[in-house]
Amino acid sequence: MTSLKLSEAEQATLDAVLAGDRRQAARLISRIEASDPTVAPLISALGERGRGTAVVGITGPPGAGKSTLLNTLIGQLRMSSLRVAVLAIDPSSPFTGGAILGDRVRMARHGADQGVFIRSMASRANLGGMAAAAGDALTVLAAMDFDWIFIETVGVGQNEVEIVNHADTVVVVVTPHSGDAVQAVKAGVLEIGDIYLVNKADTGGVERTLAALREALHRGRGQHQWQQPILGVQATTADGLEAVVAALASHRDYLGDHPEELFERRRRQTHARLKALTFAELQQRLDKPGAVRDLLEHWAGEIVEKRSDPRTAAVAILKCLDITDA
Amino acid sequence: MSRAKIRCMLGMLGTDVHSKGIRTLAQLLRDEGVEVIYLGEHNTAESMINAILSEDPDVLGLSFSTSTYIHYTRDLLEKMRVAGVDDVPVMLGGLIHPDDEDVLREIGVKGIFGPGSITSEIVEFLVSVTGKPLSSQA
Repeated sequence: MTSLKLSEAEQATLDAVLAGDRRQAARLISRIEASDPTVAPLISALGERGRGTAVVGITGPPGAGKSTLLNTLIGQLRMSSLRVAVLAIDPSSPFTGGAILGDRVRMARHGADQGVFIRSMASRANLGGMAAAAGDALTVLAAMDFDWIFIETVGVGQNEVEIVNHADTVVVVVTPHSGDAVQAVKAGVLEIGDIYLVNKADTGGVERTLAALREALHRGRGQHQWQQPILGVQATTADGLEAVVAALASHRDYLGDHPEELFERRRRQTHARLKALTFAELQQRLDKPGAVRDLLEHWAGEIVEKRSDPRTAAVAILKCLDITDA
Repeated sequence: MSRAKIRCMLGMLGTDVHSKGIRTLAQLLRDEGVEVIYLGEHNTAESMINAILSEDPDVLGLSFSTSTYIHYTRDLLEKMRVAGVDDVPVMLGGLIHPDDEDVLREIGVKGIFGPGSITSEIVEFLVSVTGKPLSSQA
């Protein structure tokens, strides 16, 4: 393994985070979010030396009750004195880049509990950045002394599928309220869930939603032996939550018993993360002042003057990118 | 190319339930490109400190519409000192009486925005106290 040389200060940060220092971890996550290039060796070291705790992803449509469910779930896990970390993603405004990160309000019950670490993160429309920040932040949390780590996604569109790039266990939360929720599940999210929850089970139509899911999943079962549990829950009262905790533990055991499947998941996650990081790096090189940006300017003029075309120019620029130049 | 954004934590302490002001501020700040970590009402000093530890905000903003703000703020700032998170600047908003400003500054409050304050003043304060540019300008 490559052990990059850390400065004295970075070594101190590494030791603090490995020992469970929450503030140092929080600051490190801020540096990751700010795209601080100096964190790279630290993240590598944390990935190598940390516990590598498995990550559970919680996803589903907006308003399905993801945060509320997490709030109750944390309560269940804390009854057994298990330490819990949550990375809660909320959307950024595509217009101003600002965000209101409100997931803590739903989890306020655990606000003062020192055995619970909740970090809110803005999605920051920028694709590569999002993937890089969440991935590295999870590496930090997985290196610490938490027994369970959850990541809660923004509840919309393609983000719902991106969760597979970050989590070993994916929990999909829907409600009986809209036929659309099940339609959405049928369309895309069906392949990614390891556990399906129908929340708000006290309201009408829950049986129909459960049946629709069972039918759809039965048809769609892949080559794996894991049979996705489909459970009705009521997050506000913790009804059915014990079964959820049991399902989470059982999926964790399943992955432990099927190392080849865990390997495949980790390989897929790493592939996606690597791709996102490469894109981010490429973008940075195109934007930074220098020969490549000048070349871009030059070709832009050539194209407008009709002496070249965009595709030819793009290939030419790619050829000029010094791959090894950092 | 710094992509550091201002992270501002907003919340209320105690039994104060008049959250219209702080919710409005949260939206105004979001529209200025700030990332707001919204804690809502009914926080304790302990839960706010726990939130500071994991969220690493640049600033903490408290809103009060009851007359107990000196007591609550003093208590929070003392506990922040003990917890070693008193490097996070605290600002106050809401029904803050001008007569109390000296006391509040003495106990360590960095920014006070009582009735009549405008968004640009608060934003200016955030930029000066964090040293970060607004993301919408970046």
